[in-house]
Amino acid sequence: MLQGLVGTATRWLNDLQRSWHRPRPLPPPAGKSASTPISYGPLERVLLTDGVGRTLFEEFANHRSEARGEEETGWLLLGLREAREAVVLATLPAGAMRDASVAHVRFNSNAQAVASRIVRQTDRRLNIIGVVHTHPGSLRHPSDGDLRGDGQWVANLRGHEGVFGIGTADGIPTPGDLFAYQPRPHVQCLRGLRFSWYALRQGDSAYRPLPVELTIGPDLARSLHDIWSTLEFHAERIERLCRQQSAMRFEVMTDEWGTGLLLTLPLAEPGDAVQVLIRPKEVRYYVLRSGELLEVQHHDEWVDRGVYQLLAFLAARA
Amino acid sequence: MDFRPLNDTERRQLINALRGNAESDRAILMDRRDTSFLGTADEVTDEEVISAIKSVPCHY
Repeated sequence: MLQGLVGTATRWLNDLQRSWHRPRPLPPPAGKSASTPISYGPLERVLLTDGVGRTLFEEFANHRSEARGEEETGWLLLGLREAREAVVLATLPAGAMRDASVAHVRFNSNAQAVASRIVRQTDRRLNIIGVVHTHPGSLRHPSDGDLRGDGQWVANLRGHEGVFGIGTADGIPTPGDLFAYQPRPHVQCLRGLRFSWYALRQGDSAYRPLPVELTIGPDLARSLHDIWSTLEFHAERIERLCRQQSAMRFEVMTDEWGTGLLLTLPLAEPGDAVQVLIRPKEVRYYVLRSGELLEVQHHDEWVDRGVYQLLAFLAARA
Repeated sequence: MDFRPLNDTERRQLINALRGNAESDRAILMDRRDTSFLGTADEVTDEEVISAIKSVPCHY
């Protein structure tokens, strides 16, 4: 089973290490003590990083140009919930396997769950902040149906309150519309697209407009968007592995062959590991042992089954 | 008693926690059974996050 392609694999590892998008830990908030539990008051604003703002406008525009562009779409928002504001740091898209029409959207939560594990390697404080979804027409406010669902869902969130964005494409693109503007504190517009922001707290009878502001920062999940359909395809099996193998780590990497997701599962000996590289059209398995990277001639597209077969093989040889 | 080296993630989390404790008075959590490091007070568990993700309602 093991065919050591040491030279090739080691070169591959070196190339890969240069191109890995290594998550960097977020700096702790200055002057804030976490030893005292945060007392969550009503949200007074939502702060988006410029990376998140770009993702929402760019992907909404891309969505409208696709075959399913008439359907609703959306993103789950991941970030930090502070006492009076929410900071959005990552977007998890609805996915190609979403259930959607012109009148509804239900996200593919399997891929979003795995993505949350990957993004939260950067900072374990990251939590679900809210949801953005689009309306094909000009309804710039969440619907009554949204209120019924969100009113119950916000009980799951810190502060029992969520941030909700509505995307519409009912604006008029004007020449020279080079940057976003805010006609009202809770509204952002760019090239005919509009996002209107609201907050909803448990027990509220209606959403309330929520001022939105921008700060400089990343969309921590953006590198995953390039491989989102691959993530969706493998999500259930990766999630199963995560629950069974708590030490598993992820890296999003890009090289001349494109973007892929690298799973690393430590073995008993320090430094040794099983690695799985998942790309859109292939799943490759590697063993890192005593500083050598061995490619395994083992082509199982079901990631969890492939990993356990490999572990069983290694155990038999130990 | 079990001694083992921390992996990269655990080491980074522990250093961040110690820095947060020294600079910002951030609490460090300890497992009462074996005194192992359990993170800092404002960390969120995977279970809490994934529960929220799995329960997102349909939007209209």
